[in-house]
Amino acid sequence: MIRFAISDGPIDAPDLSASLANPEHGGFCAFEGRVRARNDGRRVDGLEYEIYAELAQAEGERILAEARQRFGPIDACGVHRGGRLKVGDLAVWVGVSAAHRDATFRACRYVVDQLKHRLPVWKKEHYLDGDAAWVACHHEVPSDKFVPDYSRQTRLRDVGEAGQARLAAAKVLVIGAGGLGSPVLAYLAGAGVGRLGIVDDDAVEASNLHRQTLYAAPDVGHPKAEAAARRVAAINPTVEVEVFSHRLDPGNVVDTFSRFDLAIECTDDVTSRYLSNDAAILAGIPLILASVYQYEGQLQVIGATPGEPCLRCLWPDPPMPDGGCAASGVLGPVPGVLGAMQANEALKILLGFPQPGSASLLLVDLLDNTTQRLAIEAHRCAERGGCAEVARRALAAARADAALDLEFPSWSAAMAAGFHLVDIREPDETAAEPAPVAMQRLPIAELQSHLARLPAGAPILLVCASGRRSGHAARRLRARGVGNVFSLSGGIDGFRSKSRG
Amino acid sequence: MITVDLRYYAQLREQARASGERVATDAASLAELYDELRSRHGFAISAELLKVAVNARFTPWDQPLCDGDTVVFIPPVNGG
Repeated sequence: MIRFAISDGPIDAPDLSASLANPEHGGFCAFEGRVRARNDGRRVDGLEYEIYAELAQAEGERILAEARQRFGPIDACGVHRGGRLKVGDLAVWVGVSAAHRDATFRACRYVVDQLKHRLPVWKKEHYLDGDAAWVACHHEVPSDKFVPDYSRQTRLRDVGEAGQARLAAAKVLVIGAGGLGSPVLAYLAGAGVGRLGIVDDDAVEASNLHRQTLYAAPDVGHPKAEAAARRVAAINPTVEVEVFSHRLDPGNVVDTFSRFDLAIECTDDVTSRYLSNDAAILAGIPLILASVYQYEGQLQVIGATPGEPCLRCLWPDPPMPDGGCAASGVLGPVPGVLGAMQANEALKILLGFPQPGSASLLLVDLLDNTTQRLAIEAHRCAERGGCAEVARRALAAARADAALDLEFPSWSAAMAAGFHLVDIREPDETAAEPAPVAMQRLPIAELQSHLARLPAGAPILLVCASGRRSGHAARRLRARGVGNVFSLSGGIDGFRSKSRG
Repeated sequence: MITVDLRYYAQLREQARASGERVATDAASLAELYDELRSRHGFAISAELLKVAVNARFTPWDQPLCDGDTVVFIPPVNGG
């Protein structure tokens, strides 16, 4: 039973309460709104409601029907007064009965809030000083008053209100807000995860839009982390967002991870993936890794508990960075599928669902729609002192290396500093985009075997498109004893955006 | 001579122009099998950067091959 009325006479609350008695309903909740003696600092003597009755009646009934749709089989009754009222008089009464208390409270709150916002009611306040003013009672629902409705997931027996409370208390760090990060952030925001950290130092580009579904054309050129935060707020304004517009580095990554319950690695950057792995192991929080290539992807959940395998148990050292999606191409939905899987794994972990017995690498081939699940064992790191020890050593080495990536305001500044510049890009890249200043060409594949071609004495600055491969190559050379080799941070692309912006 | 089923992922699938194939081989180990395939398909990536799984289990490169094995070569991928 649902019933809404506009009443010009006093509201009979006991009678309305009694009308909601239902032997199937164990919960009953009523709200009474009364005329108060003060508004905006002025003493109020009484007020007069003017109501657009036909519309108010229809809107009130609509709100009660919505409550029933949202909260299930409830009985609900709402009455709004019209006419003249004195201080203390009942102005609005809402009562709800339902099988259990939770739906009762929430439905009652919903109806009161919506009536307040949507009923076409104006009130003329009479002040003690003899003055009077018309005040509109209704207004549009502001976004910060949005009431999320998680009923479609709380209805699941393994989620319920207890699971929803776990999600609301959870803090998740998402590293990379691109093709994988888009579905991850959208689903976690929608699910009501309490706090989301978003790490990304890129700007949205037009070439992102085929796969990075968080963004739209007007976002192009804007910082991704901020655009993603706006999108999360639009999906669910109750989620807290923390934006990291700079990359995590070996110095701060463990502290940052320690402030979250779970991390999701969504970058296309091999250095970031290993940094996240090491940080998750040392901070002791689970990490969900995924990566894609053209039409396929890989998914690995790292439990970060002793004895469970990590990324380095599978591939002990970072492979040579490739050009990512820009170089090899990717079909838009491929990161969408893998990102959705990451979001799904995250929710399962946060909700405490039982995990599959053994850690594994999942291979997803979206050309022939097959998956392969391969169990991973922790032998590789165990031989080297265990995942935590391996991670500690790797982070220490990364901190020592940090001084190896150099930034310069311009090409001439790099040359004036005495560096010998070496372009290590592949020949086809150099042909497509020649180096902006004269420099030695030595493609990365030949670098290791042609060390003698590098000049002795002068410090060497390796240059690639983004600074990733040059950073990797410089680390490899340092490991081989070449001491005075550095990498141009940001690469050629970095200079291009500097001169542009 | 034994027959094995192969599956390729990522760059290997691209370079082999197939997601899998059935081959007859005299290779004594996985490492030898990969060398054979490398010269046939021109795989750019060296075995040390790959993981190999036989019958859905990660496997050391020196393991001998058995007739009917399903062998999967997996490079690390980094796109996102």
